[in-house]
Amino acid sequence: MVVRAAVRAIGAALCLLLLAPPLRAQLEIPPLRGPVTDLTATFTQEQVASLEQRLREFEAAEGAQIAVLFTPTTQPETIEQYSIRVAEQWRLGRKGVDDGVLLLVAKDDRAVRIEVGYGLEGALPDVIANRIIEQVIAPRFREGDYYGGVVAALERIMAIIEGEPLPETLRRPQERGAEDVGAALPVFLMLLFVVSGVLRRIFGTLGGAAFAGGAAGVLVWLLTSALGMAIGAAIIAFLFTVFSGAGGGRGWSSRRRGHHWGGLGGWRGGGGFGGRWGGGGGSFGGGGASGRW
Amino acid sequence: MHALRSAAVLLAAFLLAGCGYNTLQRQDEQVAAAWSEVLNQYQRRADLVPNLVNVVKGAVAAEKEILDEVVEARARATSIQATPELINNPEAFQQWQVAQSELTSALSRLLVVVERYPDLKSISGFNDLMAQLEGTENRIAVARKRYIEAVQAYNVTVRSFPTNITARVFGHQVKPNFTVQDEAQISRPPTVDFGAGPEPQPAEPAG
Repeated sequence: MVVRAAVRAIGAALCLLLLAPPLRAQLEIPPLRGPVTDLTATFTQEQVASLEQRLREFEAAEGAQIAVLFTPTTQPETIEQYSIRVAEQWRLGRKGVDDGVLLLVAKDDRAVRIEVGYGLEGALPDVIANRIIEQVIAPRFREGDYYGGVVAALERIMAIIEGEPLPETLRRPQERGAEDVGAALPVFLMLLFVVSGVLRRIFGTLGGAAFAGGAAGVLVWLLTSALGMAIGAAIIAFLFTVFSGAGGGRGWSSRRRGHHWGGLGGWRGGGGFGGRWGGGGGSFGGGGASGRW
Repeated sequence: MHALRSAAVLLAAFLLAGCGYNTLQRQDEQVAAAWSEVLNQYQRRADLVPNLVNVVKGAVAAEKEILDEVVEARARATSIQATPELINNPEAFQQWQVAQSELTSALSRLLVVVERYPDLKSISGFNDLMAQLEGTENRIAVARKRYIEAVQAYNVTVRSFPTNITARVFGHQVKPNFTVQDEAQISRPPTVDFGAGPEPQPAEPAG
């Protein structure tokens, strides 16, 4: 008993350790709610609204996503380190086109960075981004004209992107967070269908279902190491094996649809857009330029 | 009987997947992709160096030593065949890494020197070159970070149970990663030593 308690305590401690945030405290990244995120209260509401409207219109016309983030500081990281983390989390730009741009201003650090997505590195190379910072942003920021600097910089960036032949604006492809799992889903269902039939024949309905459920759970756990998903898969496999033996073809399609909700399809789907503005899944590789004023 | 056999085959396929075979393949591929990006960005830097040296040569002719150092470091760094196979050979990887970090340190010393020549700023193209160099260094940092993460995920799979068995069966080995400590050591600017022993400096995380 003592041993078991000790093991459990160690396990709990390890879990806590895993859940604990990394030791080096990093600045948190604000959630992406709209094209303009102002944590410094630099802009008035009207200014934010006007900027956002312009950026949304631009996105509707060109497809490229531009976002502005004003933060007091990026300490203890450099602006480059923070900026790439923001870009990785926000995922501006369309997936595959990677046409996102982040204009990050660390006001108290007096530092600014234009982070350019992969797809725009040709149109907006480091040299151009650097010139925009030095010639457009820095002079205005030095005079305290933050709004003017941002507007002028955005207009320059948008003019450059407009000159670039980007793919037509389509409906933004749905973000597929559970991509790996999604790719395996058809195979999983097919195997489940075959295996459940075989198992039912060997072990009888309930025995086979239990076996299928257990096997599916273990497999999914090994594959994804997500316990919740494993349990979900086990339950699906169990129910599937029980019910696919019970009826004829009539209920099949509805049951199959039932699978998608079940475990895998709905997993991680919560981050959807629902009218809210969000990143389209673009990638960044550290392109762009930084400067100070 | 037939049903049993097909069940066995399916189960075997399932088990193989369950033993992390697919995970291993995917992560192996991710490491390779991340590595290509690292090589790509280092190559980009190597391509920039001659331009930089040409532009600053006239203005900082007095600093011939450091210029030569940069040129030599670049030659050494590019003389090592940077192939995708490098990551499967820890020794070659180490050599390559040392050569690249020597170039990094030579370049950073050149940039310190260049700061002393304000006239350079007026030379056309110098600012653009600096922006390109900065951008490239930043891309290198990002590419390295992603490589480190990819290798970490891969190595964890190779080492942990039960996937380590699969890894051994299919000959997957732990891949070398960037050693940040060494990098910090090498890329640290040389300290001026007035007789006292070398001061211990806080190791800064090299990106």
